[in-house]
Amino acid sequence: MNPTTTRHDPEAGRESLRLTSVSKSYGTGAGAVTALDRVTLDLPAGSFMAVMGPSGSGKSTLLRCAAGLDTPDSGEVVVDGEPMTGRSEAALTKFRRKRIGFVFQQYNLLPTLTVYQNTVLPLRLSRSRVDRERALRILAEVGLGDRVDHLPDQLSGGQRQRVAIARALVTGPRLVFADEPTGALDLHSARDVLRLLREAAALHGQTVVMVTHDPVAASYADFVQFLADGRLVGRMSSPTVDAVAERLAHLGDTVAQAHRVGA
Amino acid sequence: MLALSMRSVRRRPGRFTAMLLSATVGAAVIMAFNSLHDVAAAPGVDSASSEILTIAAAIVGGYGTLLVFISIASTLTVNVRQRSEEIKLLRSAGATPLQIKLMLVGEAALIAVAAVVLAVGPAMLGGRALLEMFQETGQVAAGVEYAFGPIGLGAGVGSTLLASVGAAFMAVRRATRAASGTDRANRGRRRSLLGIAALVLGTGSVLTTLTLDETEPAAMAPAAYGSILIAFGLALFAPSMVGGAMAAFEGMLARTGGSGHLSAHNLRRRASEMSGVLMPMILFVGLSFGTLYMQAVENDALAASGAAKTVEDKNLETMNLVVVGIIAVFACIMLVNSLYAAVSYRGGEFGRQRLAGATPGQVLGMVGIEGVVLTVVGVALGSVAGIAGILPFAALRTDSMLPDQGPGMWIGIAAVAALATLATGLGTARKALRTPAVDAVGLAA
Ligand SMILES: Nc1ncnc2c1ncn2[C@@H]1O[C@H](COP(=O)(O)OP(=O)(O)O)[C@@H](O)[C@H]1O
Ligand SMILES: [Mg+2]
Repeated sequence: MNPTTTRHDPEAGRESLRLTSVSKSYGTGAGAVTALDRVTLDLPAGSFMAVMGPSGSGKSTLLRCAAGLDTPDSGEVVVDGEPMTGRSEAALTKFRRKRIGFVFQQYNLLPTLTVYQNTVLPLRLSRSRVDRERALRILAEVGLGDRVDHLPDQLSGGQRQRVAIARALVTGPRLVFADEPTGALDLHSARDVLRLLREAAALHGQTVVMVTHDPVAASYADFVQFLADGRLVGRMSSPTVDAVAERLAHLGDTVAQAHRVGA
Repeated sequence: MLALSMRSVRRRPGRFTAMLLSATVGAAVIMAFNSLHDVAAAPGVDSASSEILTIAAAIVGGYGTLLVFISIASTLTVNVRQRSEEIKLLRSAGATPLQIKLMLVGEAALIAVAAVVLAVGPAMLGGRALLEMFQETGQVAAGVEYAFGPIGLGAGVGSTLLASVGAAFMAVRRATRAASGTDRANRGRRRSLLGIAALVLGTGSVLTTLTLDETEPAAMAPAAYGSILIAFGLALFAPSMVGGAMAAFEGMLARTGGSGHLSAHNLRRRASEMSGVLMPMILFVGLSFGTLYMQAVENDALAASGAAKTVEDKNLETMNLVVVGIIAVFACIMLVNSLYAAVSYRGGEFGRQRLAGATPGQVLGMVGIEGVVLTVVGVALGSVAGIAGILPFAALRTDSMLPDQGPGMWIGIAAVAALATLATGLGTARKALRTPAVDAVGLAA
């Protein structure tokens, strides 16, 4: 049997993100913290993955290393077929602004730029042609069609985060990373943001990796990857709110078990 | 509240170095010159020596104090503005506006006292060197002893404290008003009024030069004072000029690529924050340009009168140049100091730009373009202030408004301003770029 005959979309199922034995620690000597411990991970294009784990378990570090915003101590990161390790900040930036969108918990918008200017900034910086129609369409999709000339400090937290998502999507990236994108939002805004991320994956075939603390947020993903003490400690497909909450509550036991097995 | 101030200074000493530096250097300059009053007041000093010392102390101490006052005030304004987040946090944690005011004013007072203590040593060395210069040139009797006494110290403590606390008071009032979102327009109007007042006073002072007797030895003083006041007034209007210039060039800049795009938006919206840097630059250019050319006019006038330069004329020239040198170096240190403070504070902004897709090179390019725009505006306005002093002085001394000096010295001054601005801006930005972008955005300044 030919394993590829069932695929209609040539992109779907193609490997989008691969981490091979990635480790990262901060500090030296007795105060050293192992933030990531030999993490190996494969993600097909078009999937929506949630990353969960206790505070300090290395979720943000995982996302930064995957997006080329931080350099692992060892191991290899391949994004959309290209290695991220051993490249200069300028080279990584140029790669990132074409293929990767990043959404931060604290938005990281530029306060002196309007909503529209913030959104198209990555295009301007890469000196790409700015398709105004397309940018406005994305802003309308995230529900900001009537706010394009506002400055960030004239917006609510939920609106700012939607600007950040529009900015992350405007370049048509292959991957979108989001670090607790709903962490600072009310329930209603959080739901809008999660829908947008799910559509990015389901409708546009983009790979989405989202860190979250919230089982409700995680339930929007195709699957959840659990992390504890810098190690991957399990995966759950088709997550439901209750199952995720249950699993999180028992993560402590899993960690202890993982340590026994690992020792 | 003083306890809160002390804790705040002790915890984050780095944020206060710029203020401490400008207050210390300023206090040293003020005390060095004012201690000449103490020397003159000592018993047994002959009246000729006493007169020379008193004149020097009064003239230079006077405009030196004015300059120091302006510098401390502008550094402090930058410091308070940079802490608007902290002020907001304190307010939301329940601090009353009065408590915040007391904390910031208390900090300023602490820094002023520390600055005076640090400055006493250098001021004594400087004052002694000035006295020796007068003695070597034969204007002050050799037997006169150096003294550092109540007048020198009092002037230092008084001016530094007054400048710091007064500026803190104004800056805080502005910051707390801004936090509660009131009267932006009022502030602009007060700023314009202050600027107009400085321009009117400065013009008046410059014009009194024309009423002076041609042989008046201190003829340069009103022109120099007036020039400084005009520079100060122009500096108050400079931010809106930067804003206007950027609006005009925005389209062109944006087409030059990523860096141009970043700076076009930045300068226009942040124009008011540039005043902390433009102030010392305009003062530096205005003062050195004005005095160097006035001295050159003086030399030419003497040469043209056919009389050979007397020893006294040469002494006066040397002293003038030394004094201007000190003040110009001071203004240049302030320029570097305030620019360093302004750029190092922007690590978070650079981080956000990098995360949005700017390469480190594009961020540096943006800082470079901003430096060029600031230099152009600063040199242009400083030159206007300088010329305002030179023209009447030249008219008094030579019967011709236009001095026949070449542009050489002016080019030199502009080059120093450009070099100081670009080297400081780019060097500081490079250092800020060493912090990874993700960490830089999280740092509280
Ligand atoms: N820049 C840093 N310097 C030092 N330690 C850090 C740094 N960033 C993260 N860490 C440490 O690494 C561990 C993992 O952090 P992080 O990835 O932020 O966890 P999470 O996002 O899961 O809360 C934590 O113990 C944290 O204290
Ligand atoms: Mg985190």
